[in-house]
Amino acid sequence: MLNETRRTKTVLYVGLALFALWALIPYIWVLRTSLLTNFAAISSDTGYIPALESLSLVGYEQIWDRYNFTTYFANSLIVSIAATLISLLFSIPGAYAFARLDFPGRKFLFYTAVFTIMFPWIVITIPVYEVFFFLGLINTLDGVTIAISIFVLPQTIWLLQGFFRQGIPENIEEAALIDGHTEIGAFLRIVLPLSAPAVGAAALFSFLTAWNNFLWVFVLTSDEEVRTATVAIHYILGSDVLRQWNALMAAVVLLVAPPVIFYGLSQRYVGEGLGGV
Amino acid sequence: MARVEFDNVTKVFEDTSGPIVAVEELDLDIPDGEFVVLVGPSGCGKSTTLRMLAGLETITDGEIRLDGERINDRSPKERDIAMVFQSYALYPHKTVRQNMAYGLKLSSDLDDEEIDRRVEEAARMMGIEDLLDKKPGSLSGGQQQRVATGRAIVREPAVFLFDEPLSNLDAKLRKHMRTELSRIHSELGITTIYVTHDQEEAMTMADRIAILDNGELQQVGSPKEVYYRPANVFVADFIGSPSMNFFDVDLQHDGAGSPALVGNGFTYEVSDELTELLDASETEFVLGVRPENVRIAEDAPTGKSISATVDVVEVVGSDNFVYLDVSGRECRVRTSSEIEPEEGETVTLTFDESDLHLFDRNSERAAVHGHSRADHEAQKTIAKEAEA
Repeated sequence: MLNETRRTKTVLYVGLALFALWALIPYIWVLRTSLLTNFAAISSDTGYIPALESLSLVGYEQIWDRYNFTTYFANSLIVSIAATLISLLFSIPGAYAFARLDFPGRKFLFYTAVFTIMFPWIVITIPVYEVFFFLGLINTLDGVTIAISIFVLPQTIWLLQGFFRQGIPENIEEAALIDGHTEIGAFLRIVLPLSAPAVGAAALFSFLTAWNNFLWVFVLTSDEEVRTATVAIHYILGSDVLRQWNALMAAVVLLVAPPVIFYGLSQRYVGEGLGGV
Repeated sequence: MARVEFDNVTKVFEDTSGPIVAVEELDLDIPDGEFVVLVGPSGCGKSTTLRMLAGLETITDGEIRLDGERINDRSPKERDIAMVFQSYALYPHKTVRQNMAYGLKLSSDLDDEEIDRRVEEAARMMGIEDLLDKKPGSLSGGQQQRVATGRAIVREPAVFLFDEPLSNLDAKLRKHMRTELSRIHSELGITTIYVTHDQEEAMTMADRIAILDNGELQQVGSPKEVYYRPANVFVADFIGSPSMNFFDVDLQHDGAGSPALVGNGFTYEVSDELTELLDASETEFVLGVRPENVRIAEDAPTGKSISATVDVVEVVGSDNFVYLDVSGRECRVRTSSEIEPEEGETVTLTFDESDLHLFDRNSERAAVHGHSRADHEAQKTIAKEAEA
């Protein structure tokens, strides 16, 4: 006989497990289907848990062979990593300035930046296209990278300034000044190493936003050579030619894998960064 | 080691609601090797003063000199100072050893061996040799405090600055560290400026105390001087615990008898010697007397007795704090533990003329201090200082 506390706990855990399963089912289904043979993927006889003989990596092989996925993934990686680096390069000093320095128009600039996070990107696609066209950046990876970096920047500034404001006591910087650093030295040698969790979190957000970005790649590119994986999958799914679910789901798994790996690597830092400690 | 001079130093912060004067025309000369405590309530400008000296705040007006050289425009690293913060401000990603060595690595050209020797020596002095390879996060508050002090010592700077370094410690540890810091000061003899809001800390540690209020310097003097001869009502009230009792009194000469101080519900006769020291035209004063100088005594001399009703008796062990009502005003008395009147009982209070302080009621400046004892003590202090 369970006592009341244990019973409540058991009910709670069962409830949580059911909820977790419910949330995970679509993902599990994507993974399951991606590992099936062509036939098993469309057969109604394939069970929820498929038999061993119906498992295969053929979906992955097909999607990789049939489409120019190496280029798409390379483009995605280039754009995501470059956009992450560029946005961090600007947002770290920007966020630090918003958090610590007092300059005219600081609040106005900060709230303008924060406002753009809430602004739906879709409504500015035409003016943005015009600007990029004028600059000759249409159909280039540079253009896509710049666009994504710009639109990710407010988000990373907002995240980092909160950490600089609350996570790093001003006294530590002052101690560094007294110890013999200049202000830049104190920032680079003391503040930045202590900000690794927040920088990690900001990097993860930038990377995810860039990797998953559909709109700017879709609007600013038309050539296959500069297409990223996210947009490529849209074209594959949207074409009537392919209805091989195993290959489609394999494409989805491949698309999701890099951010998951990236998160796994930075998870230790990110948790702390988001906690603001 | 160095002499520190504040010459007419003013600090004004610009705020959206207008300028805020944090420190106003501060003049303070601190000779080489002295331990000066800046004390005052929150927002009095004591920390701002310290931060201006450290180079962490700009100076709006005036001049700060270190060994005669103007340092207003020097960056913190060019001032040869070390500072201990209230929050300790240790680098959490560095070990204790790295924390202590960091300043030396950056600001001196000593080799690693010499730096290590100095770190070990400072660690021994602070009793933290075992903690050298630990990170600050794994240390207790008291240990972090020691590391922060060690980090300052190792630099062997011209001036030590302490910004409320003991505020985050518990009462027992605070008292212990107070003694430690005093010991370190006497061993090293480095000019030290220490900021605190705790008057007891100031009294026990300082060679001289500078009392600030609202950005203005109220008085500078040895602990005894500010205790026995407070310059104004603020200092008299701030220094001493429990704080001084104050009563509004009028000086009256009735012609025949002695002059008397007449307050609400009491008359206290004073001697001609005392009144001679006062400005003849002034008759309105604030009478101040410390709780430890007031006695509950039934045999109080007539003309020097005050009737009061006991409100609360606090037993603290060695002493009793008795809170009484004198015609609607609270009066605090510190008595020995065997005197424990009943609450509600009417008792007679008295004090010696030598223990009273009179302040001008308008300017709140000291008019006269109970002459005999205060002068005697002050003379003793002066003689001691001259000897030193």
